[in-house]
Amino acid sequence: MKLLIRIRAAVINGLRELQANKVRSLLSMSGIILGVASLVAMVTVVQGMVGNFRQFVDAMGGIEKITVEKQALPKEQEHLAELSEGLTMRDVEQIKATIPIVRYVSPEARVGFEKLVWEGREVNTMINGVTPDWLPVAKRWVDPSQGRFISDLDILHKTDVCVLGSSISAELFPPNVDPLGKVIRLKGKRFVVIGLLNNIEAQGMEIRSASGKGKGGGGMWRWRNSGVYIPISTATSKFNGNDKLSGLGLQVATGDDLNYAVEQVERTLLQTHNGLKDFTLTTNEQTLDDFRKTETAFKLSLGGVAGISLFVGGIGIMNVMLASINERIREIGVRKAVGARGSDLFLQFLSEAAVISVLGGLIGLAVSMGIVWIMNYVLMQAVPTGVVAKFDWIIMLQGLSFSVVIGLIAGVYPAIRAANLDPIEALRHE
Amino acid sequence: MGSLATIRGLHKTYLMGDETVHALDGVDLDFDRGEYVAILGPSGSGKSTLMHILGFMDTPTNGSILFEGEEVSGLGADRRAWYRSNRVGFVFQSFNLLPRLSVLENVALPLLYREDYTEAAREEAAKVALERVGMSHRLSHRPTQLSGGERQRVAIARAIVAKPAIVFADEPTGNLDVKNVDRILDLLGSLLAEGITVVLVTHDLSVAAKAKRVISMRSGKVQEDRRQ
Repeated sequence: MKLLIRIRAAVINGLRELQANKVRSLLSMSGIILGVASLVAMVTVVQGMVGNFRQFVDAMGGIEKITVEKQALPKEQEHLAELSEGLTMRDVEQIKATIPIVRYVSPEARVGFEKLVWEGREVNTMINGVTPDWLPVAKRWVDPSQGRFISDLDILHKTDVCVLGSSISAELFPPNVDPLGKVIRLKGKRFVVIGLLNNIEAQGMEIRSASGKGKGGGGMWRWRNSGVYIPISTATSKFNGNDKLSGLGLQVATGDDLNYAVEQVERTLLQTHNGLKDFTLTTNEQTLDDFRKTETAFKLSLGGVAGISLFVGGIGIMNVMLASINERIREIGVRKAVGARGSDLFLQFLSEAAVISVLGGLIGLAVSMGIVWIMNYVLMQAVPTGVVAKFDWIIMLQGLSFSVVIGLIAGVYPAIRAANLDPIEALRHE
Repeated sequence: MGSLATIRGLHKTYLMGDETVHALDGVDLDFDRGEYVAILGPSGSGKSTLMHILGFMDTPTNGSILFEGEEVSGLGADRRAWYRSNRVGFVFQSFNLLPRLSVLENVALPLLYREDYTEAAREEAAKVALERVGMSHRLSHRPTQLSGGERQRVAIARAIVAKPAIVFADEPTGNLDVKNVDRILDLLGSLLAEGITVVLVTHDLSVAAKAKRVISMRSGKVQEDRRQ
């Protein structure tokens, strides 16, 4: 309790000293201000980027996704080509039947990049034949107010229905027209629009496209919002003329089973393809891995820079404290003469350093908010991918406590010097 | 009255380069409560060293000091700080008021280091002490706004605020004009009535003449101890 009273008195005294030497105090704070500002701003921005990257990987189907695609046969198997029919619905049935850890299997039969027409308006996009499993594998959905997705019945009856990506729908239909139920022409054939996919940009993002120019979303998500989806059976029977698939999307129950699942799928497909490796399996793990490395590199380099500036800030504080003690040797002598103990002076000068660093830290936080705000603004102008970074109280608190620790460490040596000054010598000092 | 301090065989030696300096070379003295003493001597006579040791700012190399019945010659730094804040007051030639603090805060400063005073009690005690030296009308002034005589009165208030047993005045009139010298010396003399022992440390005979007892020092020894 007594110590608390002493600390309180010392802090009040520290604030007064600060007030008495405004310019000097501000200069001594500048290092800490810059250090905290850069530390907090950088970590915040990096975290924002990391968040965006996570969303990107998620948009690619997350780390639970395995993609199976056609691949040219290796040279030594080329002469056996007719032994395999390529990817077909049989592969889908086989995987579903034999590998329970694969939760969803989404076969895709690409029709191609084709023209969509509605009442004289036209737009070109990719036509994909898919099944209901496409939604969970792609991590997409159809908002109930936006119709429905392709159903098993559509597959069964090879219906002429389609689901549009939001940007395609926005390009094909004027804003005052409800696309649902409209009949459009796909590669000359009539299809009924039964649903619109969710707009990816709107998903989990804080701010939508800054300029608002790309209808239904632009930037790196644009390609995800285009495309038209029809029942896979319709695609194979009415357009492609064969039941060959262009690829499979698989979703594993948990990311932990990924490697095991990859192995199982590969074995199963080799079996159905008569031992021919005319397919390739890819996962998002490599992407995620690259991104983790980038994240670490960013954190280390930016953290290093911020750490150095905080260290320099600490030296600045120590410098100013030593200068201030030199100026106030007589004051220290007087205080000792009237009864101050060494510990009183230690506390007094340490508190001054602490007050400088806390205030510097707080100003630094304010500056970092400004920096992040500006960076968000600039980045949004340059790449409209939505907001880059948002504030995290934990990071700010860490930045502040870091500055306080630096300030205290920097204050210890000057404070010890003040505490150990000989009062007689100090009083003689001119 | 009664005895305040008894000094026996006090030695203080410094090492200055290779040379040993005997600042105090066997001093025996007795101080009573409420005494008005002047310690007279040229610079280098040991009078400042004696004041510093008796004022708990320094420790002797050898010898014993009984202060209020307790042996204090070997006290550690914190214990000596306690004596400085509870039993001793200092008045300096150059006043040594802290320029950033107001008059009231300067006077309350010694109590800041005592745990038995609340903020309100400190202020109250400082006001009483300032009243005692006739400076109640300048509470919120800064020292730089005061004349030399006024500053020294504030310094005396600071020296007596903690109700000390002894006040040391080190050349208290050295920076004052003639008009103020007498006022300050009279003010110091008036402290005796409160049982405070006042020790004037000076090389000025006319200042020493004000005291009831003059101790003359030379080369670290008491040359003469005369009551007048």
